[in-house]
Amino acid sequence: MSPLELVGDFERIAQELRASKPGASSALRERIAAFEPPEPRTAFRPPSRRLVLALAAMALLASFVVAGVTGLGGSKESKSSGASSGFHPTLPVRKAIGSGAARSLGPVAPSRANALAPTAGRLQRYDATLRLRVHDVDGLSRATQRAVSLTRGLGGYVGSIDYATSAGQRGGATLVLRVPVANIQTELDGLTDLGTILQQRTGILDVTRRVDREAKQIAQLERELADASPQEAPAIRSRLATLRAKHARLVRSARLARIVVGLTTPPKQATVPPSRLHRTLDDAGSVLVRELEILLYALVVAGPLLLIGAAGIATARAARRRSDRRLLERA
Amino acid sequence: MTRLRRIDAVRSEFAEAAERHLDDVHAFLVYLTGDRALAEDLTAETFARALERWRKFDPRRGSARAWLCQLARSTALDHFRAEERRRRRDGRFAAGEQREDAGPVFGEGLSPELEQALARLSAAEREVVALRIVLELDGELAARVLGISATACSTRLSRALQKLEKEVNAGVAA
Repeated sequence: MSPLELVGDFERIAQELRASKPGASSALRERIAAFEPPEPRTAFRPPSRRLVLALAAMALLASFVVAGVTGLGGSKESKSSGASSGFHPTLPVRKAIGSGAARSLGPVAPSRANALAPTAGRLQRYDATLRLRVHDVDGLSRATQRAVSLTRGLGGYVGSIDYATSAGQRGGATLVLRVPVANIQTELDGLTDLGTILQQRTGILDVTRRVDREAKQIAQLERELADASPQEAPAIRSRLATLRAKHARLVRSARLARIVVGLTTPPKQATVPPSRLHRTLDDAGSVLVRELEILLYALVVAGPLLLIGAAGIATARAARRRSDRRLLERA
Repeated sequence: MTRLRRIDAVRSEFAEAAERHLDDVHAFLVYLTGDRALAEDLTAETFARALERWRKFDPRRGSARAWLCQLARSTALDHFRAEERRRRRDGRFAAGEQREDAGPVFGEGLSPELEQALARLSAAEREVVALRIVLELDGELAARVLGISATACSTRLSRALQKLEKEVNAGVAA
């Protein structure tokens, strides 16, 4: 029900009131028409909502740009140590076994055709160390198997294998291989195909003179044994046996080259330094978080005061309204 | 040049608004004050204030008529407060002041009963009658002018009309 319908005689009263609406006099009209607008003042005008939004967007953009260009004072420097990221182990140079005509080579630059070939007609102890990098653990397994089969195919054998992986991601293997010196070049060529050469070392020790010397000593002892008395014979025989065993080992070592192959997977990737964009985003995010912290702090501190102020304003307005009402009731 | 154009624009817009709403504002103030001469002065004061603040008027927030009525009410309240202060200072009371009887106040064609009934209403009751009945503002607009809720405005109007009818009937019976 409309409140206007509460009054039964309302329509008549309303029509009468509207029909008798007091009008402004012509004098009042002329008085108002004579009003002149005041000179416009250059007063402060509060910014519009669009302007505030645009300023906020510009401030946000500026914080991104500043953070990106200059960075923050506390930004984390994540400089990469590119030069040290790679793994370039350097093994100490092994001294040549024995002396005389022996030659020893230190670590050489990784290169496929760098292995030295033994000299034909000479007895030489051939010692090589090869360090290779394979792509992954699967490649490590395949390379190990191929190294073993290659060695056996060339008439050699595997002295030892040490194979290990870690969490299925990293791994390494060390193989000690013995191959006939005549096939050393083929063996090395095959092995270098297994991966990327990280390190290669070759050592050759010529033992021809030593073998000859031992052979002469053996011949000498055999002669002495033939001429020796029964009391002297056992001692000579013992020395002869020792010398023959030593000689046999020397000759054998000159026939079979020793190759130590180290296989390894790539080292764990160093943490990639964040890009400039990521650093910019991080820094801008830090700025925003800091601003929010300050805003929150300000709200916590000023909140109660604002609430008291708002309550005061509301109370004052209500009081003013009551006062107006009373004033109009009295008027 | 731009400044002059701006002044011209204000003058033109204001003149148009004054022409259109002068009668409404004047009628509202007549009902509010119950005094034609005072209403004329307050109307002039209202439009002078309106002209000063014309640049602040935003048509999107409400009609010019409602804005002018708000301004008129505020002007009248300022006057009432000043009068009350003056009377207190002078040791007089509103009841002690008698206006000179200069004929009908609320309209030329009103019946004497209705004229007297309106005079017996308070200014607060007359202003809601003026806004809702005479100026025919809707409930929301009238409430905005009065600074109260629409429900409170409706209640106030209902009571004012009941009292008005009662006073009219009492006048007729007398």
